[in-house]
Amino acid sequence: MSSPFSINGGACVAMVGKDCVAIACDLRLGLQSLTVSNNFPKIFPYGDVYLGLTGLATDVATVSDLLRYKVNLYRLREERAISPQTLANLVSSSLYERRFGPFFVSPVIAGINHTTGKPFICGFDSIGCIDFAKDFIVSGTASDQLFGTCEGLWEPDLAPEDLFETISQALLNAVDRDALSGWGAHVYIIEKDKVTKRLLKGRQD
Amino acid sequence: MDTLVAQYSRPLFENEGSSQEEQLELIQTLPPLSLKFALPPIAQPSAFLRATTDDHSNPDCPIKIAHGTTTLAFRFKGGIIVATDSRATAGNWIASQTVKKVIEINNCLLGTMAGGAAGTMCAGVTPQEGPALYYIDSDGTRLAGNLFCVGSGQTFAYGVLDAEYSYDLEDEAALELGRRSILAATHRDAYSGGFINLYHVKEDGWVKHGFSDTNPIFWKTKLDKGEFSNVTSELD
Repeated sequence: MSSPFSINGGACVAMVGKDCVAIACDLRLGLQSLTVSNNFPKIFPYGDVYLGLTGLATDVATVSDLLRYKVNLYRLREERAISPQTLANLVSSSLYERRFGPFFVSPVIAGINHTTGKPFICGFDSIGCIDFAKDFIVSGTASDQLFGTCEGLWEPDLAPEDLFETISQALLNAVDRDALSGWGAHVYIIEKDKVTKRLLKGRQD
Repeated sequence: MDTLVAQYSRPLFENEGSSQEEQLELIQTLPPLSLKFALPPIAQPSAFLRATTDDHSNPDCPIKIAHGTTTLAFRFKGGIIVATDSRATAGNWIASQTVKKVIEINNCLLGTMAGGAAGTMCAGVTPQEGPALYYIDSDGTRLAGNLFCVGSGQTFAYGVLDAEYSYDLEDEAALELGRRSILAATHRDAYSGGFINLYHVKEDGWVKHGFSDTNPIFWKTKLDKGEFSNVTSELD
């Protein structure tokens, strides 16, 4: 009940489509049963790679800032944008550095690799073990529900608009069965040459 | 010695239970069927309830009562308003969004339910008392009063109710206040939500005023009346 992963609540999901990827999160920030904010997005852009962070809100803020700092240094030193695969390894090693006093976060990455042109998603546990997936990644207090909705709705090679519908329905219906997530959602559809960000007006109870 | 022992000792179970005559008397003096309460076949109902449902004293208890609720009832000049949410949770899992937390006892008596140790409310109109409202809980508290909110969302409901309550409210305004108080609680309390169940208890019995989804009510309240300005409805 008072696990650091479920004090603030929150949910995040990423999906692969045909030449596109999607990532979505809810907007709730709470203290156990009390909903403190309904405008706490959990997705952070690093160039055109996106990172979703659920878990303890203080660590969500710390880890997202730490990675912004590291990705900025990477861009300066390499003079190029970071690829999703490289960001995944950076997240992994940054988390494992704290092996015996971890950040209480469950990160999710979504992006398109611009050298190969291929969509990429992955997830992590709190100490940096990478979960590569060809279909979808879920995280947060509604992860059990998200596994269910994603298994039921996802199919291979979805076009961007269909992928948007699929990830939105998956997230909205999952958080409606979780007391600690919801209160609206953000959805990013990432294609080779454009990114679309949308707000979902979810249930506010 | 034997005489002494005989004088001071008694059969083991002499005073246990009632004698044949006492039992007969008890049965014969019972009131007619309609006034009897059915009781479970248990020696101590309170101890049984604790052992089977109390998470604190027995973490392995076989029945996990769904906590988290918002219920309210208040007295006003037009009678009594009773309103509840409809969510049932087991931990963070939302087990149901369509629970009926108002018990229709008869055509002029209503009860409300809040899980676990939280209380219940009884609202009704009697010839002797007029509109009567009681708060009752599992450790025997029984309070008469004008206004009660019970459950995990009680503080949020009290916030709205206390600010707007008056005994001289008109029927429509009183119903709207009950609805608005539950709406506030379902918004801020993670363990309350679902549907708003509304009742009006009048002298000639109660009237049900719907079991309505909070979602359209919330967006109507926000977008039409400009309340809930904390909620984002557009990307910036």
